[in-house]
This record gives sequence, C-alpha cells and structure tokens, in this order.
Amino acid sequence: MAPRCRRYPLPLPRSSTGSGSRRFSFSPVDSSSAAESGVAGSTSRALHSGVAWYAGIRGKFYEGKQSSDFYKWGSGLSLGGVRHARVASMAAVGAKFEAKPEDCIEVSVDGKDVTIAKGMTVLQACEVAGVDIPRFCYHPRLSIAGNCRMCLVEVEKTPKPVASCAMPALPGMKIKTTTPLVKKAREGVMEFLLINHPLDCPICDQGGECDLQDQSMVYGSDRGRFIEAKRSVVDKNLGPLVKTVMTRCIQCTRCVRFASEIAGVQDLGVLGRGGAEEIGTYVERLMVSELSGNVIDICPVGALTAKPSAFTARSWELKSTESIDVSDAIGANIRIDSRGPEVMRILPRLNEEVNEEWISDKARFAYDGLKRQRLNEPLIRSADGQLEPVSWARALKTVAEAALKVNPDQMAAIAGKLSDAEAMMALKDLMNRLGCERLWVEGNGEDTVADLRSNYLVNSTIAGLENTDACLLVGTELRIEAPLLNHRLRKAVRNLRAKVGVVGPETELHFKAEHLGNNAEVLASIAEGKHPFAQTLSKAKFPSIVVGSGVLQRSDKEAVLAAVQTISQNANVIRDDWNGYNFVLLNAAQAAGLDLGFVPGSRATVGDKSSIKFLYLLGADDLTPEDIPVDAFVVYQGHHGDRSAYRADVILPGVAYSEKEGTFENTEGRTQQTSPAVPTVGDARDDWKIIRALSELAGVKLPYDTLNGVRARMLAVAPNLFRVDELEPATPLPKESLPEVKAKLESSPFKRAIENFYMTDPISRASKTMAQSTAAFSRS
Amino acid sequence: MAWRSKLSQSLRELRIHMCQTSVASKATREFVVKNYKDLKTLNPRLPILIRECSGIQPRLWARYDYGVERSIPLDGLSEPEINAKLEELVETAPQSKTPMHA
Ligand code: SF4
Ligand code: FES
Repeated sequence: MAPRCRRYPLPLPRSSTGSGSRRFSFSPVDSSSAAESGVAGSTSRALHSGVAWYAGIRGKFYEGKQSSDFYKWGSGLSLGGVRHARVASMAAVGAKFEAKPEDCIEVSVDGKDVTIAKGMTVLQACEVAGVDIPRFCYHPRLSIAGNCRMCLVEVEKTPKPVASCAMPALPGMKIKTTTPLVKKAREGVMEFLLINHPLDCPICDQGGECDLQDQSMVYGSDRGRFIEAKRSVVDKNLGPLVKTVMTRCIQCTRCVRFASEIAGVQDLGVLGRGGAEEIGTYVERLMVSELSGNVIDICPVGALTAKPSAFTARSWELKSTESIDVSDAIGANIRIDSRGPEVMRILPRLNEEVNEEWISDKARFAYDGLKRQRLNEPLIRSADGQLEPVSWARALKTVAEAALKVNPDQMAAIAGKLSDAEAMMALKDLMNRLGCERLWVEGNGEDTVADLRSNYLVNSTIAGLENTDACLLVGTELRIEAPLLNHRLRKAVRNLRAKVGVVGPETELHFKAEHLGNNAEVLASIAEGKHPFAQTLSKAKFPSIVVGSGVLQRSDKEAVLAAVQTISQNANVIRDDWNGYNFVLLNAAQAAGLDLGFVPGSRATVGDKSSIKFLYLLGADDLTPEDIPVDAFVVYQGHHGDRSAYRADVILPGVAYSEKEGTFENTEGRTQQTSPAVPTVGDARDDWKIIRALSELAGVKLPYDTLNGVRARMLAVAPNLFRVDELEPATPLPKESLPEVKAKLESSPFKRAIENFYMTDPISRASKTMAQSTAAFSRS
Repeated sequence: MAWRSKLSQSLRELRIHMCQTSVASKATREFVVKNYKDLKTLNPRLPILIRECSGIQPRLWARYDYGVERSIPLDGLSEPEINAKLEELVETAPQSKTPMHA
C-alpha cells in the first residue's frame, strides 16, 4: 500500500523542512540526479509524505526527460499537474493546446480512449474523459496525500484497486471506474469513514454542501454494522473565524496541506495515529493567516465551518449573486449568498487570473459590517449642531446652495476607498463643471500623476507574478496589503526558488525573503548597482519589482519612484516579453480613480488644506477632523456613518458594493463589475444618481441619466473601464520619453501602509467579526 | 513651439486615447513617445492621461475650464498633423471665464 501522508508538527531540521514538499524539490539543472534524489528521498523520511513518494515515482518515470518539465513535478506541488489538466481539458474545446504530441499519452477510461498530457494522474485522466471520481483528500491546488482512498478505481492487470489521485497514468492504461470491484471498494471505504463520523447532519452547517453526505448517498450503506461507541475528538480553537467540530473530521489533511503549502503557516498538523489521529495545532495556538478562511471551503466535511455564520442559514435557502470583492485592490471574484435583504455569507468564485479559488479573510468575513452603522436617510446639521433627517430634495438643495456660494478654488472632493467608477466619474464631472479641479482618491495621494497606466498597475499581472525568479519589494508589506498577490509571489518562491528582497518595514511574508533595510539609502545603493541584490535582479530571467502604494504618501515619492525606475532599467525588468514593474494599490477605488483622472487638474491648489471651504467626501474617511478647516462645508456621501460622517454638514446616504452594480478596476488593470445581491437600506440611493441629481440643482446638469449613460461617458475618459472582465495591458514608455526627475531621496524609513489588516475601510471598521479578529490576531 | 508651454494655461486636462497595437493608432503612439517628455516638462502640473484600450479610435481630448471638452479623432493623421491638432486645441480654447452657474 502506498504510504499515507502524515505531517507531524514536530520540527524537522531546518535545512530539510520549510514545507513538506520543498524538502524534496529537485534542482532544475540535472534531471537524472534529481530523479535519484527523489527516489532516495522516497525511501527515507520522505515516506511520510505522499507527495514525496509520488515525486519519487515521477522521478523514475521522467528519467532523462527535459529538466524544466521535471522541475514542475519535482517542486512538489501538484500544480504542474493541474496546469496539464487544464491544458488538456481546454484542448477539448479547441482553446490553446500547447502540449506537444510527444508529451501526450493515450489511456482508456471505461473503454473510451483519451489523450492526456504526460504526468497526469489517473484521476485527472478520468476527469478529461468526463468521469467524476469521488474524492476527499485530493485537491488540485494542494500536494497529493492519497490517504482517504475514496478515489479507488480498477486498472487492468493490477490486482488491487488503486487510489487514482496518487497514481500516475501510464501509456495504454485501461482504467475502469464502474466495475463491481470499484463500487465495493468505495463502499468499504465509505463504511470505514462513517464509523467515526457523527450522525449530526441535521445540525451541521455543512449539510447540503457536504462531500461526505453526497458520496454517502451513492456509496453509503443503509444500515451500520458498527455497534461500538463512536470516538469523539476535542474541538480546537482556531480563533473567531473558523469553527471546529473535530469529531466530524475524516483526516483528509487538506487543511494541513493548505496551511503549510498555500497559507505558509506551519501551525496545523496531524497528531496521533490510527483511531487517535487528530488534526490540531499541537500547542494551543491560533493559525494567523490572512487566508485562513479558505480552510472552510476546502474541508470536505463539516469539521471546519464559518464561525460568524454558524447556525444562521442552510445552503439551499440562499440566493447566490456573483460579484466582486472591494476590500482590497485585488478584486477577488466572490459569490454573495443572501437570504431576503441580508447577506448571509461570502464565498470565493473561481478566477484563475485573479484569486484562483481563494479570498482573504477580510473579503470573506467583513460582511456583517454591511448591517451596522448604515446611513439610511439624508441628514442635515441643524443650527444646534445636531444631525436631523430631511428629505432628499432639501438635502440636495442645501448642498447645491453651499457649493455655489464658494469660489471654485476653495472646493475639493475626495473619493473614498470603496467608490465605484461610475460615482467617481459623475463626481469628477460635477466638480469640474463647478470649476473645481482639486480632486483625489484616498490612497493615491493628493497630487499623484496619473498619466501612464503602466506606472500604477501590476504589469506582470497577478497570475504572472508567479513566474518571477527575483523580486524586489519596495515599501510594501505585501502579505497585509494584498494577501492574494503575496500568495502568488509565495508560489514563485516555492516553485522557482525566487529570491525576494525587501526594502521597507520588516515584515513576515510567510516565505523566505531577505530584508535589505528600511531606508532610502538601500534603494539608492541598489539603483547604483552597489548592493548585491542589484546583481541578483540583473541575473534573473524574469526580474520583478513590487512597489507599495504607501510610497505615494512620502514627500520624496518622485525620487523613490525614479530610483525604482533606475533599478528596473539596470535589471532589464521591462522588456518586450516581460514587464516586471509592479505598483500594487491598496484600495478598490484607486485604479479606476487614476484611470479616470480623478487627480488635481492643472492649476489646482495642492497641499494646503486650510483654504478649503467646500469639501465633498464620497465615502472618504481618511482625513482627521483637524485636517478639515472649521469653517468648511462638508458633504459626506456614503453608506456608513464612519469617521468623517461626524464632521459632515450634510449626509447623503449611498449604497454599499453588495447593493449596486458598480465598475471597479483591480490593481492589474482588470475591469470588473459588482452586482446587487440585496436591496439597499432605507432611503439610500445609487451614488452616481445622487451626484446627477445634485448637478441639476447646482445648475450644471450632467449629460447622462442612465447607468449606461455614465458608462458611455467613462468610455470617453478611460475606454478600458468599458471593457468588463478584460485586462487592457498598459505599454510603458521608453526612458527617453520620460521627464527627468530632480527630487532627492530622503532618509526617512518607509512606513507601514496598513496598520491593521482587518479594519481598513468603512465596512470592515463596522464589522464585529473584524473587531474580534483584530483582538485575536493583531500584530504582537 | 511656444504654444506648448501654454498648454496648462488653456487646458485643465489632456487625454490621448489609442490602441496598443493597431495601425490606426501608430502615429499617435509615435507622437506620445516623441512628445510626452517635452509636454510634461513644460507643463508638469497638467494631467496628460494616456489611455490605451485595444481596438479604439485614437483621439485627442482636451478638457478646458468648467468641464468643457473637445475631441479630435486622430486616425489617418501623421505625427506632425497630430501636433498641429493639439496646437489647434490649445489656440482655440473657449474663453468663457465665467462659471457656468453664475
Ligand atoms: S478538518 Fe476537514 S480538511 Fe482538515 S483533515 Fe479534517 S476533514 Fe480534512
Ligand atoms: S486517496 Fe485519492 S482522493 Fe483521497
């Protein structure tokens, strides 16, 4: 029998650990020695790892083959296989099929011949043939454990059924999935799995979407033969987000593999053996990861479920709406599950280019903030300083009158972190028509240059960052600012052994990175080529630089960006086939705001805020009351009574992302749209409509009155925002075409852009779950 | 080309639309590569938004005071002609200095 995967939390010698699979990764240089080491590995300690065992087989299988291919497998992740699988399945629909004929093999599944890529497993071959194989432990994005045995199939000339997920498909294999032997084998496995699984489906949150429940309908017996007492397992404390009912665990180890391979935390492990086997953290300890909520999705049973939504809904009562997350600038694809007017939970949606199938904990759990602190009617501050509810007509009239009294040079408008492109477009047009040019989006800084898109986007693309082999991080704590981008970089480190250097605040990235220092001098010395990391970058095949948008808050930002430009030229980061210059944004509104030119126009006042007499805040909360002059008239349009609402003279209630159809652009320049999942609260209105109505009262009527009208206007400003779900690449200008920068670097250290990952915007600040997470996981 | 330094006097924002690859946008791309530095150096505070989108018609957009906009399609024009069009946009800036609402 194949060795079963057991990952002990006991520390292994540093040189050989890191992650279970990396210790068996092979050098891409020499495939034959790699094969040997794989085989050797599989005879020693490697026996504990299904991956390694598998890699050993792969090693034999691949002997003498092209090293690069081999590398994919050797590096331990099953991802290489996944990619193959996708290529093959794409071939079926005629999409780009790149595998060469010599890289393909033929197998037969239930008498049907299929051509698959070499290196695919029997399970993947079955998938290509359209045969669904039941599985619990196998997950395409995790290493192969092969320990649940649910995926048994029959292979001709093999005496026993084989675990298809862990068995490489060989040329000419005859796979059978419907024979009585297979059925009986799977029934046997199911019976064993159910021995210790509680019969609490009626009170289990996984009910209705549980793999075990579904499979037991097919392979389960109608009566049990087990009359002894079922075992019970003590629940583990994983913090305020993940609820555990460990008695339900079937020891598939998906969560353990997720934690160590994807999240990069080595806290979860398997304890004990046989009937005493348990998943846990060994010592009482929380799993601190921004991606921890994903274990809920990958757990095939109800052992790990969402704590905030425990016992609140059954999956079949929920209405699902496909939407986009706005909690950071990645634009993860999500599914909003709602019941009536309430958002019940948020789950990831598959998008290989953006979030794969993961989302961050903030995206997943901040939704309870949508139900608290909401603004639901227009308010005006009366003479005695109290906010009073008024009609829309009166509120808008008050704002229009106040705006017309002020000299346009003394007006300003700020768009908040969650603003959609439509609202920003309308607000920009309105303010421009009133003569005001002083506009900015939170996070972009007050006088950012938005000329060239390639200067403020992730040009390598989010998925493309996986290919980098040397990366310089400048002024960013990537794990906190963009957890999913950090995960891509982590993949590059794991799969390609990318070297990562950090200039900026010292931070834990959950992968190996060299901290080069936190000051501009280091940056300057890399730019001059004196620092050893400059060589690392120049030697790399796909060098990349990731600059955090916290840099925009520095007074010497031009000099910093110029230094980064120099580094990128010296290391050839931007070339025709690869652009590794990446600027990572923090908030959902930033990219679209820059594209629309939501920046100060020429001749606008910048800097000194004391002259502002009329301030329009579109959900912007970053200004402290001290920044806003006392005599300024402040309009707050937004969905939450957050910080700045307390300073407002007029409050106009807008809608949250879960209630509107809004366009957002993510940090790589991909245009995506949210869709309304639930009705809005009270008297709130779509943001662009509020601005459109206001424009009429202010005598500068905007020339559109439908959503499509606003979008047509966006087409005239930034046409790429009209291309939903598409990524319009930005072409960088050659160095000779860029103006010279005279600014000097300052020696001040780079600051953290985000102090608390869990609370960054009005929604997450209103969320109780995020407050609990802050308490449980905040930086020590 | 003295008019170039007047850009930020008469314009509030300049937008240049073009496709990343199309033949129709080729001259516009060349114009940007050759002139961006000069224009930006002379008018550091003027947003010159280069917006690329596949398959769109190359176009110059000028935004003047109080949100007045004008645009000129650029397909078929050579690089010096584009330059002339830009000059035209600058020289013929609407003179209305009164706020629309006053
Ligand atoms: S908790 Fe869930 S994911 Fe983890 S081993 Fe148990 S069943 Fe598998
Ligand atoms: S053993 Fe194959 S899916 Fe678990």
